[in-house]
Order: sequence, then structure tokens, then C-alpha cells
Amino acid sequence: MVIAASVSYKQHAGAYQQGEEDARELSGSQILCEALVREGVELLYGYPGGAIMPFYDALTSYPTLRHVLVRHEQAAAHAADGYARATGKVGVCVATSGPGATNLVTGLATAFMDSTPIVAITGQVARAFIGRDSFQETDVIGVTQPITKHNFLVRNIEDLAGTVHEAFRLALGGRPGPVLIDVPKDIQQNKTLYRPSASINSLEYFRATRSPELSPTAIAQAAKLIDEAQRPVIMSGHGVILSGAYDELRAFAEKTTIPVITTLLGLSAFPDTHPLNLGMPGMHGPAHVNRAIGAADLIVGVGLRFDDRVTGKVSEFAPHARIIHIDIDASEMHKVKVAAVPLVADAKVALAALTEAVQPANHSVWLSELRTWEAQNSERSRDIKRDQQYPDPTSILEAIRAETNGEAIIVTDVGQHQMWTARHYTWTRPNSHITSGGLGTMGFALPAAMGVKMGMPDVPVWAVAGDGGIQMNIQELATLRQQGVAVKVAIMNNGYLGMVRQWQQFFHARNYSETPITGPDYVKLADAYGLIGMRITRREDVQAAIHTAMETEGTVIIDFVIEPESNVYPMVAPGSGITNMIEESREEDTGHD
Amino acid sequence: MTKHAAPPWRAGQVNAPQDGGRSHILVLFANDQHGALDRIVGLLRRRRSNMQTFAIGRSEIPNVVRITVVMNDSEVGVEQLVEQLRKIVDVRHIVNLSYAQAVARELALIKVNSTASQQSEIIELGALYGAHAVDVDQETVTLEVTGTADKVEKLVAQLQSYGIREVARTGCVAMTRGAGEIIKE
Repeated sequence: MVIAASVSYKQHAGAYQQGEEDARELSGSQILCEALVREGVELLYGYPGGAIMPFYDALTSYPTLRHVLVRHEQAAAHAADGYARATGKVGVCVATSGPGATNLVTGLATAFMDSTPIVAITGQVARAFIGRDSFQETDVIGVTQPITKHNFLVRNIEDLAGTVHEAFRLALGGRPGPVLIDVPKDIQQNKTLYRPSASINSLEYFRATRSPELSPTAIAQAAKLIDEAQRPVIMSGHGVILSGAYDELRAFAEKTTIPVITTLLGLSAFPDTHPLNLGMPGMHGPAHVNRAIGAADLIVGVGLRFDDRVTGKVSEFAPHARIIHIDIDASEMHKVKVAAVPLVADAKVALAALTEAVQPANHSVWLSELRTWEAQNSERSRDIKRDQQYPDPTSILEAIRAETNGEAIIVTDVGQHQMWTARHYTWTRPNSHITSGGLGTMGFALPAAMGVKMGMPDVPVWAVAGDGGIQMNIQELATLRQQGVAVKVAIMNNGYLGMVRQWQQFFHARNYSETPITGPDYVKLADAYGLIGMRITRREDVQAAIHTAMETEGTVIIDFVIEPESNVYPMVAPGSGITNMIEESREEDTGHD
Repeated sequence: MTKHAAPPWRAGQVNAPQDGGRSHILVLFANDQHGALDRIVGLLRRRRSNMQTFAIGRSEIPNVVRITVVMNDSEVGVEQLVEQLRKIVDVRHIVNLSYAQAVARELALIKVNSTASQQSEIIELGALYGAHAVDVDQETVTLEVTGTADKVEKLVAQLQSYGIREVARTGCVAMTRGAGEIIKE
């Protein structure tokens, strides 16, 4: 059996074959560090403990590996994730065996669902103790198997360096994802002759990492459908950001004049200010976007997986549309909706080829129809009376954008504030929106924002969170303080687990079971951590507070006391078709509560 | 409203019927690596495969095991599983064999109650199915039979009247007919 060694193998391998290196006797821990250095790692987020102590011992001899001591391993995984999303490089997190490793689980699952490249290194009990219920022993390989792209238990010290390099290639290659390396303590301690050039020992992973070849037939078929379409839309997902296909997306949209819909994780790949931009689809998408999907005769789906929050009831999703589905992962094809033309390819490559293949077109009639729908909706929502006294989410977001000249990266948590931010922030900087989309992990924003800021130190970074989620990894304020990292934190504090409360209002007859929540005095809390905190209760103070936060060094926390029972509109009830929306005005008309 | 007719309806995996599928034989070649089997079985569980049999053994390639899985599922369901399985790093190849092109066999050991006088009768009955006795004692006869799952089931049904003590089946293994190689790459 011959496994086709692709060209990329030679390219990859070349990076590691730099002639005759000195073979040196090193410990496993040192080899681990050497391999990380060779992968270009600059930051590690982690927490020491018994089974990973030899690694931490070696770490002090490798000054280019900057280690950030988090306060909980979950934050290490999220920080590595944030770093990876912002920089496109592999994020690295480290934990000890047992509880250290299990604390990574939520962060790994988050990265897995959103296809972000991280490498997790966990200590494991010494080989002789594995399988004996030893102190701090957990079967981390078993636990993380469904939430990693691949994981490795290092069984021989000779495999260690190669495993690290494989892990990095796997994490980044094809559809990115988290990879875990479990290193028994005795392997960290043992010594062997380390030959850097001999560290790639397997061809297997190149199957997983090589880019699929573009099918010219499929491109021609897709181009034909695009040329014939009367009411086409582009749906752009996270894949466009992961492949950096911003220019290609724009060129394709402009040549064909097809309006662009961006999913939650696709936001900021296409500028909100572009005349072809439509907005976000799905459960909390504006009505005109979902109506566009309902009326479309063609969907060009790029790097999205037709998640259930996007499609609503699948049988009612895009009932008139043929689908051209571009994704690097073949298993996404036909998974939810059958594609008329499946294109298994990198988004950048496929969009460039499609742009070449299609005819220029003018869909101005279709677009003006969409704009009419959009105008109808915004008129409707203007009628709604809100309590003007409170700082409102939109004014907070507008102020952040104004005070950062649109240059900020916004990291959100999960819930109402996440949807408000997705909807009401004007996204113009590519890859400026970072959130936990697939897993919907509360507690993501603060540690992820730390990773983002450390990866992009020159860019202003705002963590926007609710008063529920911020309390889930609040301990990272200490890490931010210790590291001197400046993340600006905006808490949209409504005293509720707001999204759950909203569901209770709509679907559980206002039975607010366990959703009212209290929190600390965030000004005192910030002070206790050695940081600056503010509490803003009036709308007219919003802009000044954000201005002050930007002028202040280090991490700043602003507790915005917002209206307790505002909702995210419109909303599609779970299980309904996306064109069947609960709108703001309807709630009042029909007493939908 | 639209120029194109809507595409002919075909279920994606999400709305694929959970029953009403048929049996499919998947042959997987996987690295004989610690944990590879775990990943395959775990994926089939997670992705809700209706797995019927699962057989594993060495293949003609060193350090590569051959796994035969029989599952009852819809066409789209199986296509999905194949694509998901392909993503497992330790899985080298997957072939979705149709029964028409495959030789599919399983082996069963069937231990039946038997008095001394019934022994030859049971052995003769087994012979009709190509089975032979591999163990005989005062109270039991153990037959070994090879064939399709149907054949094994028919023999088991025939032997019910004697009283079946134990049935051990290997699950299906399969191969393409003729000279065609299963691995194209």
C-alpha cells in the first residue's frame, strides 16, 4: 500500500531538516521544550502540578517560552484558544494530570466545536502507575477523545519530539482543531539522545493535513448555478476567517453582486459597511436576513456547517434554494442540507477559482427588495419604547467602536450580550469578533480576551460579557494583573442570566427559575485585584467611561447596569423555521409572554 | 418566485430516517495503534450508528488491522459515518462494500443440548449447513458453522428444539469478489 506523499510533505519536513544538528542527551522535558521552541511557540498558558513538574523544571531554561500562570486550567485552554483565533497560530496550554487535565476539557471542547488550533500538553502519572487508579490519574486520552482532533499518549521518549511536531501539524492542518499530548512523568524525566532532524517519524498525518484538490468540474457546475441564479445569497462562516479569505470573499461578492450573510463566527470577515452586507442569519438574525434565505434560489455557503442555530427547522430552511457548499471538511457535505454542488476545498482557493469562473452579474433588483424588507424591520423596532435611563447595549457597543476607531477586537461571552454585540457592533476589521459559537461556553470571554491581547498586543481588546458569564472565570483578573495585560472589560449587568430568562419569558410563562443572579461589587472587586473598576448606571455616562477605560493603563472593568428585562429580538423559537420570527412589536401586540 | 425548481428532496443526516435503512458493510484499515479501536467505536457511538457486528483482526499489511463493521442505516447516514471515520488519524482507508460485490461470512460456535441418541441427528442436521461438530460430550454437541448471517440464523433456529446452551458468533468479515483490490490508493 502506498500512501501518496503530497508535495506539502516535503515542504513541511524541510522546515525540520536543517542539516546535521548536534545530537545531545536531553531529558524528556527538555526535548518537549526544544520541540516547542522549534514550532515557534512564544506563549504557553498553564498551571503546574505533580505529574508535569519535570516540564516546569526544564521550562526555566528556555526563556523564549513565555509561560503564563493562569488561575484555573479552563482559562488556560480558553486563553490558548483566543490567542489562536486572533493570530492564526497554534495556541498552547499546559496542565498536570487528573484534575488539571479535566479542567481543560471545557476549553478543548470549545476549540473543537469552533475548529481552532490548540495544542494541550498534560502531565500523566508515570507509565508504571497508569491504569492503577494512582493519585491524580485520569484517563485523559479517553476523556478528551471525542473533543480533540487527535490525542497522543507518549509511550516512548524516542517518540516525544515527533509527537509534538505531529500535534502542531494536525492542529493547524485541514480543518483546524485541538490536539492533546499526554506525557507520563517518567518520560519527562528520562534522558535520550535528541536529534531534531529525526523528529518527524510518520507520514500518516499528512493525509489529515493536506489540502483537498479543487475539482474543476465542480467549479464549472457551481459557476453555472451562480450565473443562472436570480435571488442568490452568500453565506459566509468561520472557514472564511480561518483561511483568511477576506479579499477573495469580497472579490467574489463584488463581481457577482451577491449579498453576503455572515454567521456568528463568520462576522467581521466581510465589512458591515459594505453595500452588499446583509447581516447574521438564524435564531437571532434580523428578519430581512432570514427572509432572504427563505426567498433565495441559490445559497453559496462558504466555510459554514449549517448549524441548527442558523437553520432553525431544517425542512423549512431555504426551501427554494440550491446550495453550493464550500468546506475543507468533506464530512460537512450533505450533513444538514444536501448540496447541489459540494466543493471540498479551502475557502480561499475555492472563492478565487469561483470568482474567475463566474460572469459579472447585477442583482440590484433583488438587493433593493432585501433593503426594503430591512427598512420595514428597522421602522418596526424604532417604535419600541425602552427605558432611556439605563445604559443600553447598543450605546455601549457604539461607544467602544468610537473610542477605538473600529480597531478593537471584541471578545464576547455567551448569552444576550453576545447576540447584541454580534448584531449591533459594526464589524469592519477582519477577524475582530471572537466568541464561543458552537459550544456556547460561558466564562470564555475573559480568558480568551487575555489570549487575544497577548497575541495582538498593539490592538485594543474588549471583553464583553454578561454578569453571569463574567463570574465563571473571574479569577483571571489576577492573571491579567500579574502579567500586566490590558483587557478592557464591559459587563452588561442585568441581574439575570438574561438569555435563559428570555427563554423563560417566551416559552416557560415567565417562570424565572434560578435566573435572577447577584454579583460582587465590581468596583471593589477590581480594586481587590489591583485593577480599576467603574460602575455606570446612566446612559449619558457610557461614552466617558469607555474613554476613561481606554486612557487607563492595564485591565479596566466597567459594570454597566443595563435594563433588567431587555430581550434579544427578533428571535426564532427553537425548532421553528427561521422565517417565523418573534419580533419586538409582536410581543407587545400579542402579549407573547 | 424562483427560476429553479427546488432540488429533489433528499434527507441530510439530521433528518435522515432513523429506521428504514439497510445493512451496509464497512471495511476499515486502521493503524494497529493504542487507542485506534477506541476512536472508531467511540465515533460510531457518538454519531448514532446502528452497529450490528464488529470484527477486528490482522490484515495482510504489517501493523494495520482490518475491521469489518455491519450497520443498519440509511444511505446518507452511512455516507456521513464514512466521512467522519476518514477523519480519524489512525484510519487509513474505508471501503463501503455492497453485499452484491462482497463475499461476507461469519463463524459461529453453537453448543446444543444432546442426549447420546440425539448426537448423530444433530451432527447430520448441521452437515446440511456445512457445519461440523467440534466438541461432543455426554450432554452437548458443539457445532461450528461458517456462512452468511442468514445461514447461521437458520441453523440456530433449526437447533432450537434441542435446546441451545450457548451461541458465540464472530460477526461478519467481508472481501470483494474477484481480483479487484479493495484498496485503491
